[in-house]
Amino acid sequence: MITLGLQEKNTFLEAVNKKSGANVLECYQCGKCVSTCPVSGYMDFPPREVMQMIKLGLKEETYMANSMWFCLTCSACSGRCPREIDIPAVMEGIRHLAIEENYHSQDKKVKEITRFHEIFLDMIKRYGRNYELRMMAEFNIRTRNLFKDMHLAPKALLKGKITLGHESTKSAKAIQKMYKLAEKLEKNK
Amino acid sequence: MNKITYFPGCSAHGTSEEFDHTLKLVMKTLDVQMEEIPDWNCCGATSAHVMTENLAIALPMRNLVLAEKLENKTMGIACASCYSRMKVTKKHLDENPNLAKKINSTIIDEGEYHGTIDVKSMLQYCFEEIGLETIKSKVTKSLAGLKVACYYGCLLTRPKDVTHFDSPEYPMSMDLLMEALGAKAVDFDYKTECCGASFSISNTEVVESLSGKILEVAKESGAHVIVVACPLCQSNLDMRQPDIEKHTKTKINIPVMYFTQLMALAFGFPEKELKLPKHIVPVEEALKNIGKIEPEPEKIKKTKKAVEAESEVV
Repeated sequence: MITLGLQEKNTFLEAVNKKSGANVLECYQCGKCVSTCPVSGYMDFPPREVMQMIKLGLKEETYMANSMWFCLTCSACSGRCPREIDIPAVMEGIRHLAIEENYHSQDKKVKEITRFHEIFLDMIKRYGRNYELRMMAEFNIRTRNLFKDMHLAPKALLKGKITLGHESTKSAKAIQKMYKLAEKLEKNK
Repeated sequence: MNKITYFPGCSAHGTSEEFDHTLKLVMKTLDVQMEEIPDWNCCGATSAHVMTENLAIALPMRNLVLAEKLENKTMGIACASCYSRMKVTKKHLDENPNLAKKINSTIIDEGEYHGTIDVKSMLQYCFEEIGLETIKSKVTKSLAGLKVACYYGCLLTRPKDVTHFDSPEYPMSMDLLMEALGAKAVDFDYKTECCGASFSISNTEVVESLSGKILEVAKESGAHVIVVACPLCQSNLDMRQPDIEKHTKTKINIPVMYFTQLMALAFGFPEKELKLPKHIVPVEEALKNIGKIEPEPEKIKKTKKAVEAESEVV
């Protein structure tokens, strides 16, 4: 149920402000972010509407929309925002909150985007550095789209654009330990 | 001789080897010694900060801690994305000593973070610390005749309170650098539009749409080459170009080069040092414009004459 007005405390707004360091209440809905954002056309709700949804305390709707996952953190919006709100930080804040609170969108594109990030992080965990070829292969396997970009592979490999081997940091073990500690830190919050 | 701490980034030994290689040639010519951080790790790129809070800080922070140990004043970063992550992390840590202490004590083994090193992109380093005059003095083969569209992307200049470099809307540093080499930098309205960045693999159609527009506008501007300073921008604009052409049913065929490749060329290094075969869109044809100086169009000549005649009357 949507409740407007001052009778209820907007805990969602408070959480987002705290997480992002921004003040979403400052937004006066001019829409400059929407016209600036290169991906607002792909979003369920463009940035301006996301800001309003936070102000109205529409937590679940905000978490389940694809908007925050489509944000590329290009910072074009915040550079032009007349209220100087760090909109990418707000998007980042709601992403982290949604992950913490276990909200998972079932949208196919969102799932692919998050899967990519998980695989990328996994590459760093394993090698300390990114291993491009393996990352691409794993993405194709795990999104069940085996032939994606396969037409680019022969040329890219032949030209050395993508290398077959990988390099790892000497202290890949140290990175693995960092991952464990970071996870622990995040759980203990 | 100047000395900097160098962070190459993961792509330097794969996708953007030509960037790393020519950067080293150029810096040697400019008498700058690059000391690579031993055992550096991935900065976490987009994925770390999208998905996690602590790793997003810890991964770049480990590199900053290692970089500080080398005791150079500046840390130069090739990749725009690594640069952005390192800069954002440094800002968070410097403004929030408690966060620095927390991550330092719980996650990082390599030592204390002091916040003593200055982080710059290699473009910024060339522009601010080496200077255009010095760069100009090293040019042995002018690039006159070559028209370039300088593409900065998002992260080299944005957000302004993080990078403190150039204009976030219409930067000119790379343009001026190219002009110092003799090339003509064209007006290019899409120089800071986003190419789609990390969606390259997970959301390819978005990248093709965004990069497609950038390529189209660059082509319209009359440029022979797009010049970039970021490996991800390069691969989106170059590797995805044939697919973009297929989907939009237009021929674009504009090569995408790193600014250091053109610097190396102007400094007199032979073409084979630029590692041109790594490019998907061939570069060789575009470079043939070097030395071909177009005669001034009649219209401009007439206007110039008219202005001169007028000023004489005054």
